[in-house]
Amino acid sequence: MIVEGKLSARVAEIELLNPTLKRFRFVPEGGGTFPTSPPGAHVLVTLRDTDRVWQNAYSLVTPPDQRDHYAIIVRRVVESRGGSHFLHDMLKAGDAVELGVPASLFPIASRARKHILISGGIGVTPFLSYLPVLALRGANYELHQFCAGDEVETFRDLLGTDAAGVHVHSAGLGARPDLAALLADQPLGTHVYTCGPEGLMDAVEETARGLGWTPHAIHRESFGGAKGGEPFVVTLARSGRSIEVGASQTLLEALEGAGIEAPCLCRGGACGVCLLPVVEGLPDHRDHVLSDAEKSEGRLIATCVSRARSETLVLDF
Amino acid sequence: MSDQFIKSRPVYQSLAVDSSGLRHLLVSDSPAFSFAALPGQEAEIWFVAAPDQEGRTRPPEAGGGRCFRSPRHLIDRLDHRLARERMGLRLYASGTEDFLWDVFNTAQRAGMNKQEIFQCHSGTKARRVACVHCRTFNHAVTTTIVRCEGCGANLFVRDHFSRRLSAFMGVKVDAEVAGDVPPAEQAYS
Repeated sequence: MIVEGKLSARVAEIELLNPTLKRFRFVPEGGGTFPTSPPGAHVLVTLRDTDRVWQNAYSLVTPPDQRDHYAIIVRRVVESRGGSHFLHDMLKAGDAVELGVPASLFPIASRARKHILISGGIGVTPFLSYLPVLALRGANYELHQFCAGDEVETFRDLLGTDAAGVHVHSAGLGARPDLAALLADQPLGTHVYTCGPEGLMDAVEETARGLGWTPHAIHRESFGGAKGGEPFVVTLARSGRSIEVGASQTLLEALEGAGIEAPCLCRGGACGVCLLPVVEGLPDHRDHVLSDAEKSEGRLIATCVSRARSETLVLDF
Repeated sequence: MSDQFIKSRPVYQSLAVDSSGLRHLLVSDSPAFSFAALPGQEAEIWFVAAPDQEGRTRPPEAGGGRCFRSPRHLIDRLDHRLARERMGLRLYASGTEDFLWDVFNTAQRAGMNKQEIFQCHSGTKARRVACVHCRTFNHAVTTTIVRCEGCGANLFVRDHFSRRLSAFMGVKVDAEVAGDVPPAEQAYS
């Protein structure tokens, strides 16, 4: 069941973990508790600047039964669409924020007999809520975190230096993780989960497939994958409104920027909530929801990540 | 009286090697099965000997396969084998419907997922029927109504198949009017 609605919250604490990483703790407005979140859950954080609104999805790094507060960890990225700069530079303790109800599109496989978690950089965040659950279940698991050499200490601290089954690897420039060594010779019923840069996730998927793993045993977290492209114009058939989608903006953001309440949940092309019917124009599909056949039909588009190949796109909305 | 074509009834395909796997194991409840391995892909074959073949020379079509005395014997050894298996295995099952799901459940307990297991129905369509009243399994049922070996109730054999029990559901046919039992028809052979 997906609980609808928004949670009113307040920033309780902002902690600098290293020069580009900050942890934000949110508490419920007016006290009380938040809903229990599933492991691997993310929340949509609505950020309001004077002239812009962002809705960004971030993984909760608090354990599922932590209900007095939620926490997220955000990296300040140089090539930001604005959200991480706002969080890092503008948001202060005591500020009000609006959170979506936690949703998980990255659950722990219930039948798995062993879990291998592979993350790159800040992609480790969903696993921070996995670890206490796996430990509590007495599950067989290992976590491999790949990061730049100067961040090894930060991630060791986050993951717990002495935690069994947790390995932080320094992956400097040009040094590729030996995924085949991690995935080879695993017992039947092993599942792999990966979150991080697309290149790492692709490599994990490819390596596992090469070792005879089926898609059922391979899980990837795919939000935050929206990339820019050529600008285009979207026309909404029902209202006749035309909206420009900029090069660094997603289609969904352009709709939201024009004050249109378009459906969305994960904002990463994974859940399918944002799909809208296409009347005219050629979609440039970048989601993980539509099948190849549906993509070539071009009758639906995931507005959170996909764009247009044509100069204009007409949607039945 | 029929409730055929229940949507949840499993559908079976013929067997073909899934080339995304690295190792392939076929298990069959009879020496007669149809399974063509791709050239260059070795498949290991386990089968149950025909009752009158026990102790005799193996049928040539089984090649270097392993021969077992009964389906139960095969599944016991499969359980043992899968506990030691590694990722990359594909399992193919050929046989009667109850055998197919006994194999499936054994494999699933070992951690295999449904993309790694393939099933092909062959041989008799006689049903294993689970009595919902006393939980007795009635084997090799070929009629629409059967007297339960456990509690003696006259069971209507529903088309409702349980993958967990590898059996069809049998419910008392004369629950409302005791003794009002329609004639049984030969339906599953």
